[in-house]
Amino acid sequence: MKKLFRTAAVAAVTALALAGCGGGGASNSSNVTPTGEIKPREISWLLSRPADGAVINIMKKLADDYAKNHPGFSLNLITTPDRPSYIQKLETLAAANKLPELFDTDATPFAQQLAKQGKMVDAEKLLKTLNVYDDYRPAALDYQRFDDRSLYMIPFQFELEFIWYNKSLLQKAGVSAPKSLDDIPALCTSLRKAGITPIAIDGQDQWPLERYAAYQPFRETGPDFIQKLKKGEAKFSDPAGQKTVEWLAALGKAKCFQDGFSSQGYSDAQNQFTSGKAAMYNIGTWELPSLATDKLNPAVRGDIDFITLPTTEGTATAANEFVSPSGIGMAVNSKTYDPLVSDFLKFALEKYPSEYAATGALSPTTNVKTAIPANATPLYKKAVEKANDLGDEQAMPWDTQLDPTTNGRLQQELVLLVQGDITPEQFTSTMDSAVAQNAPKFFK
Amino acid sequence: MITQTAPATPAAPPSPAPPAARRRRRPSAFRTLSRVLIALIVIVQVYPLAWLFLTSLRSEHDFATGDPFGLPKALTLENYARAFETGDLGKNILNSFIVTMGANILIVLLGMMAAYAIQVLGFRLSRLVRGLFLIGIIVPVQIALVPLFIDYSTVNLLDTYQSMIIPLAGFSLPMSVYLFSSFFEYIPRETYEAASLDGAGPYRIFGLITLPLSLNTVVTVVLVNSIFIWNDFIFANTFVLSEDLKTIPLGMQNYIGAMGKVDWTATFAAVCVTITPLLLVFLVLNKAMIQGLESGATKG
Amino acid sequence: MLPNRSRLSVLVFLLPPLLLYGAAVLFPILQSLFLSFFSWNGISDMEFVGLANYVRMFTADDVFWRSFFNALGYLAICLVLQLGGALLVASLLTSLRRGRELIKTLYLLPAVISTVAIAFLFVRIYSIDPVGLLNQLLDWMGLGSLERAWLSDVNTVLAAVSAPEGWRFTGLYMLIIYAALISVPKELEEAAVLDGASRWTLFTKIRFPHIRPVWITTTIMATTYGLRGFDIPYLMTNGGPGQSSELLTTYMYKTAFTSTDFGYASTISVFIVIECLVAVGLILFMLKRKAES
Repeated sequence: MKKLFRTAAVAAVTALALAGCGGGGASNSSNVTPTGEIKPREISWLLSRPADGAVINIMKKLADDYAKNHPGFSLNLITTPDRPSYIQKLETLAAANKLPELFDTDATPFAQQLAKQGKMVDAEKLLKTLNVYDDYRPAALDYQRFDDRSLYMIPFQFELEFIWYNKSLLQKAGVSAPKSLDDIPALCTSLRKAGITPIAIDGQDQWPLERYAAYQPFRETGPDFIQKLKKGEAKFSDPAGQKTVEWLAALGKAKCFQDGFSSQGYSDAQNQFTSGKAAMYNIGTWELPSLATDKLNPAVRGDIDFITLPTTEGTATAANEFVSPSGIGMAVNSKTYDPLVSDFLKFALEKYPSEYAATGALSPTTNVKTAIPANATPLYKKAVEKANDLGDEQAMPWDTQLDPTTNGRLQQELVLLVQGDITPEQFTSTMDSAVAQNAPKFFK
Repeated sequence: MITQTAPATPAAPPSPAPPAARRRRRPSAFRTLSRVLIALIVIVQVYPLAWLFLTSLRSEHDFATGDPFGLPKALTLENYARAFETGDLGKNILNSFIVTMGANILIVLLGMMAAYAIQVLGFRLSRLVRGLFLIGIIVPVQIALVPLFIDYSTVNLLDTYQSMIIPLAGFSLPMSVYLFSSFFEYIPRETYEAASLDGAGPYRIFGLITLPLSLNTVVTVVLVNSIFIWNDFIFANTFVLSEDLKTIPLGMQNYIGAMGKVDWTATFAAVCVTITPLLLVFLVLNKAMIQGLESGATKG
Repeated sequence: MLPNRSRLSVLVFLLPPLLLYGAAVLFPILQSLFLSFFSWNGISDMEFVGLANYVRMFTADDVFWRSFFNALGYLAICLVLQLGGALLVASLLTSLRRGRELIKTLYLLPAVISTVAIAFLFVRIYSIDPVGLLNQLLDWMGLGSLERAWLSDVNTVLAAVSAPEGWRFTGLYMLIIYAALISVPKELEEAAVLDGASRWTLFTKIRFPHIRPVWITTTIMATTYGLRGFDIPYLMTNGGPGQSSELLTTYMYKTAFTSTDFGYASTISVFIVIECLVAVGLILFMLKRKAES
């Protein structure tokens, strides 16, 4: 038996060591014009997008069109819409060196390591070779870039995030939509006095609350603070950090979010807003079909409007600069990149924008016009038009910026801070030491 | 923390027990109390299923705005229509069925063989082997994911039915070995000895005595494991890549929209559809299962 | 031992199950034990770090200890619900004349429902805004002061996520204990009743000692399942608010797949395995000693 164990242990070591070493075998990420014949085969795209959503439906159609001229080609779309499950899958595949031809990822530190190892094709070069680079909105590409401005992911969406509000509820409380971020706590107090839930938030998915943490520093310093914070070069104890900590604590004290928000999900939060219980709701243009069409509850349809992220006194960024994400991006695996993949991407990326804009969504490119659906309310057009007037900076969601361990800790501590379970001082010291402990491993 | 588990509330009524002489008349009060209690507990156990079913019949709007615990204002089947339209429920059910059957065959057959070797045949290191199996009951499955994935990709097993069946069967095997061996303990040794004297070898005894006698335990093992395997998400999510192999829990992801927005009413409709086969089997085989559990249990 | 068995026959029966089990369970466990001495994020080269992961776990990780104590609390609540509840219902059932089969079946139902649905339902039940079932019931009973957002309150969340896990498998344990209870010889009980034994003495002196072996196995089953509990807390609160409902298993999962720290995650799971073994040892030790005294 002992012998058996020893054999097994040796085998265990060998198997894993082989996989571990596989990490080193880098391919060339900068060769974007592979030479040779186009040999049609099945290629796969591992993605995390809604199964019945516009991106998947359009890409399926484009793949079918492409296959007509290239018999034998097919695109296998493997979607895992639930993001945590998707990330688990992506990481396991990466660990086993089994990533497919195309895969989705945000511009996370993990993705940056993949890029550094040469596992992803340089998207900037790729888009330029395919002659589509200039079609893209700079903001859409910037969202996908790593800190060193390098680009490895291709965007398929473009979204703008607004603060939606219910005019009649604000009126009932005798207040108006916030002009400055610093107005919000007092606004919440008035709304609460009138018996209205001030802000509906999806606490379960954690990113919505993390957005609020990003707002004050973005107004105070632009993208500077988070870029330094994640590397441990800035701290929460710095003025910009303290401002957001104090503000979040004030939001909590004024009971801005619905009671028990931390366990309420995406649909719960939206229902609170669309049923006329909550006065404000922070969400992006991907929800236009439910907030700005006749699908919206008629009882509130005439009452809702939106503002872009309020500024503050002495703001470093302008009112037309806010969160404008281009969604999870698509990376191209350099190991399996060949004339076929290149040719298909050329075909698909040229045709994609017009098809996508026709569904009423904002294309990541500027060469097409979004079709306003027939059942839209006037807000739809107003929202879409905001995309034409954007500043140069954009507020980056922190969850794609911080190293994953610090990010996880931040998401947990934020809830405690807003619920008043910990003091701003405790929050500051916990988070600063979390950054100090984890950041060096990811950013060297 | 373990001492807390001592039975704090046995069947006795809260008042000091009545003297034996009055016992004949008292039971009615005791019985009423216990019936009320049982009724309450049954409500607690059955309620969720009823809630799930009712919610699957509500309109999206009613679910979003109405009282989630009240009765629906109107019943609708549109959630079911949406559930079938968005997902490929039929294929998901078929895949789950294949995986569940495959795993169950392995679990029952191999579990029975191991238990037979340990319990009936007996050998020098049987205690050690029993201990090895105990580890499997104890280890959290999540940790095996990355090593398993790497191993499977080296032997090209990824994205196959086997890649789900093997780990599911492996991790359920210990419980099956345990249930079978406690049942085998229950078969009187004389039965085996008599058969042995008649010249039957270990294979014939297994086929002619042990196997037919353990039918109830087989049903139990199958049902208990089916509950877990039918609902398994973690292995399926890790090892399956293609649409054609998706099992039910993976199929449920089709109702997740942008940024985590879930179409809950359609999800519940799908849950109701997909637990029906399990529920039917469960209700039909329930009696055999309960007997199996009971006979497996009494010998501990 | 069967008299006519041969060494070969033992191997024929034992090898196939051991092969499957070894390949699917033991081998990956060994691999992960091996990983616990490394620093590896899945795509980097593996770096041998000796006992550094263990040192970090025991001395420098406040979340680990928090999760450990949470896991114990979670276990305690699950055990009370599953074993206490199972014993209570099983005892009640034995006093019933009709309908036993039906109730046993109904009692098992929650085990069939998928975890996602259960987690979603309980989030609703605990909700305060809109008012969920639990807070509504408290209100009706005039206990309005107890109303709260059960899953957001750091003091109640652990109990709130333990309850559904405890509840869903109570039926399984109830069946096992019920089966043991009805196997208590009737003559023993009748004799005791004639001697004037109360229901309580009847239970402690006759019934419980008789079912002790079954009780031990059920306790072990429930304990190991409790220590491995994962999906309900993960789905309901993801460990929050803060780390109030973080368990070792959810923490291990996050360390592996969110932080991509596979080495450290393996270290935590080695700890979980040892913890389970110790727990089983303790249970056997305590229940044996009690039986002897």
